[in-house]
Amino acid sequence: MAEGTLSVRKIVIAGVLSAIAIVLGWTRLGFIPVPTAAGNATIMHVPAIVGGVLEGSIVGGIVGTLFGLFSFLQATVPMFKDPLVAVLPRIFIGITAWMAYAGFKRVNEYLALVVAAVVGTLTNTIGVLTMAVLRGYMAPGVAWTVGLTHGLPEIVVAAILTVAIVVAWQHVETGRGEAKM
Amino acid sequence: MEDFELLRYVTVGQYLPGDSVVHRLDPRTKLSVFLFLTLAATFSLSYAANAILVLLTLGLVLLAGIPLRYILSGLRPAVPFIVVLAVLQLLFYGDAYTPYGTETQDLLRWGWIHVTNGSVQLVVVSMLRFVVLLFLTSLLTNTTTLTGLTHGVEAMLRPFGRLGLPAHELSLVATVALRFVPLLAEQLEIILKAQASRGASIAHQGKLRFVTTARQVAVLIVPLFVDAFRRAEDLILAMQARCYVGGQGRSSYVRLHFARADYVAYASGLLFAAAMLALRNRFPI
Repeated sequence: MAEGTLSVRKIVIAGVLSAIAIVLGWTRLGFIPVPTAAGNATIMHVPAIVGGVLEGSIVGGIVGTLFGLFSFLQATVPMFKDPLVAVLPRIFIGITAWMAYAGFKRVNEYLALVVAAVVGTLTNTIGVLTMAVLRGYMAPGVAWTVGLTHGLPEIVVAAILTVAIVVAWQHVETGRGEAKM
Repeated sequence: MEDFELLRYVTVGQYLPGDSVVHRLDPRTKLSVFLFLTLAATFSLSYAANAILVLLTLGLVLLAGIPLRYILSGLRPAVPFIVVLAVLQLLFYGDAYTPYGTETQDLLRWGWIHVTNGSVQLVVVSMLRFVVLLFLTSLLTNTTTLTGLTHGVEAMLRPFGRLGLPAHELSLVATVALRFVPLLAEQLEIILKAQASRGASIAHQGKLRFVTTARQVAVLIVPLFVDAFRRAEDLILAMQARCYVGGQGRSSYVRLHFARADYVAYASGLLFAAAMLALRNRFPI
């Protein structure tokens, strides 16, 4: 059966993961209060990491981009109302996560998942903060503080969630089997 | 988080039905003008340019009949944060930002505090740009239905198909995402109630106990993902069973048409943005 550049599987998974990122943002479930300047650590980038790990860099890139777009559209704070801060760094979350996963996969599956989550979260944190500094919304010192105080809890949370989700997903997959024509 | 009604938060970017000139424009026009004006706003650094943009977008918002109260009401929870950020920028950013068009002049120097005309400009321009982008986003999402937007995006990306960009597939990703958002929000409500009835406490523990809160959130997130994946598998199977083969040679039931107003809007948007970008360093202030 002929298929376009993006297989049906990739289209649907990318769409569904983007929907999860949007729901996490809309219902505020994706924001976990932490004692720092910006107030909340987020897990809204986790679907992009999961997309990159499970289906490759294209899906990861798409989910990240849609997450960034949604973040831009929903933003009520000047910093995130800037497309270069909200959208541009997010494109790379899934891509770097996939690269990390692919690199470590041969060593150990769980390690690869953790590294992918770490790399993906760092891409999000460092990318967004760098753009915020370059565009003048934050002084470099503040950015470093936010990065360290936010980044570490976010990395831990993202790693736990990524492993849990991928493991649960693989049980779902083997449980139902796949009937591909 | 005692309340379970999550769906009522799903209102941002809502389509507000209306019959204004803007409502009747083709979605491709609105997307293009949105892109042009966003580019112009992103790269304009002078007071004058941003003031012009604010007036223009305000005029367009009023023309579209969007109530200003609606747009500004979304801002209310964020106001303290915006104010704090503005004050920080004003007081501490004097060193790092060279103002547009003039030399850096110290306005106030006291210890760590260093206010220059550069930091003043930074704060004012950031605020103005924020207002512009807020109005632009509202103009796009409040006057266009989501399906209209996806059709518009697909139509605009189709010419790139020759370069290998899968336009139809990408817009289908967006459509799937939009279709699943209310479904997943509903599912999240169900999960919340189920976990609560089993004794899981999801009230936030306060800021320092973030690991505990994170674990509590995981109890909700992982079932959400698993449910989403099950639905995804069903959808994949359904599409394959109907022999979905991608966008090659596919026509659409909905056809988009350009009217005269679209050409006018498109051309003026393009010219305006081009002018703003070309002249961005020539504004007096």
